Amino acid sequence: MSDVEKSGFLSKVIGPKKRWRAYKARVKELPGNHRTAVEAIERYLMHFVPTDEDSNASMFEDLADLFEQAAADGTPIREIVGEDPVEFVNAFAENYSEGGYVPARARKQLTDDIERAERAAGNETGTEDKTV
Amino acid sequence: MTKLETEMLKGTLEGIILASLAGRPAYGYEITVRLREQGFSDIAEGTVYALLLRMEKRGLVDVQKVPSEKGPPRKVHSLNDEGREYLEEFWRTWSFLTERLEQLREGGR
Repeated sequence: MSDVEKSGFLSKVIGPKKRWRAYKARVKELPGNHRTAVEAIERYLMHFVPTDEDSNASMFEDLADLFEQAAADGTPIREIVGEDPVEFVNAFAENYSEGGYVPARARKQLTDDIERAERAAGNETGTEDKTV
Repeated sequence: MTKLETEMLKGTLEGIILASLAGRPAYGYEITVRLREQGFSDIAEGTVYALLLRMEKRGLVDVQKVPSEKGPPRKVHSLNDEGREYLEEFWRTWSFLTERLEQLREGGR
């Protein structure tokens, strides 16, 4: 992962190269099992659709913050990630990916399409909007 | 923790954390420990941390970096006015829900 493109998709996933390298350097300093856990979480995070470079860089920096602090406190891995690591990482990633596995444009499209369908139905029957 | 408990906690954990912060400011690990002592025994530190980040982004808590004896500086979270307002709304909603659920339980007897 050291030779990443300056721009393009990868930089969108990991953020600016400089911040990525700084993050990686921090991970390297973690005690063995904490490091392994961060790298596993990092791999999983790659599946999320990135929103922008800045927020994705922050995501990894915040991850490093958590594990550095936890390592200093001597918190065992299981107490950091919980019984269901997927749940934890999903909650964590939601802060940066606008809460989804789908691109923002797909969510916008769904919202727009439903609104359009609703309006069309309203025109046909002449009923008022009954949105709750 | 049972599956049901986990599911039900999910929607309320944010309010629980805010309620804990209403007492006094704290950093992530401190909150986790506090909640565990209060009986939320299986709460993961990471989950609390993720929710704290979210509240920070939504402007419900103020964050101050405080140097620690060991390791990196700790982020100490305190409830601000917006967070207090949100917490009040949380308690209102909670009362509403428990009331309705009690009614359902009595009706089902």
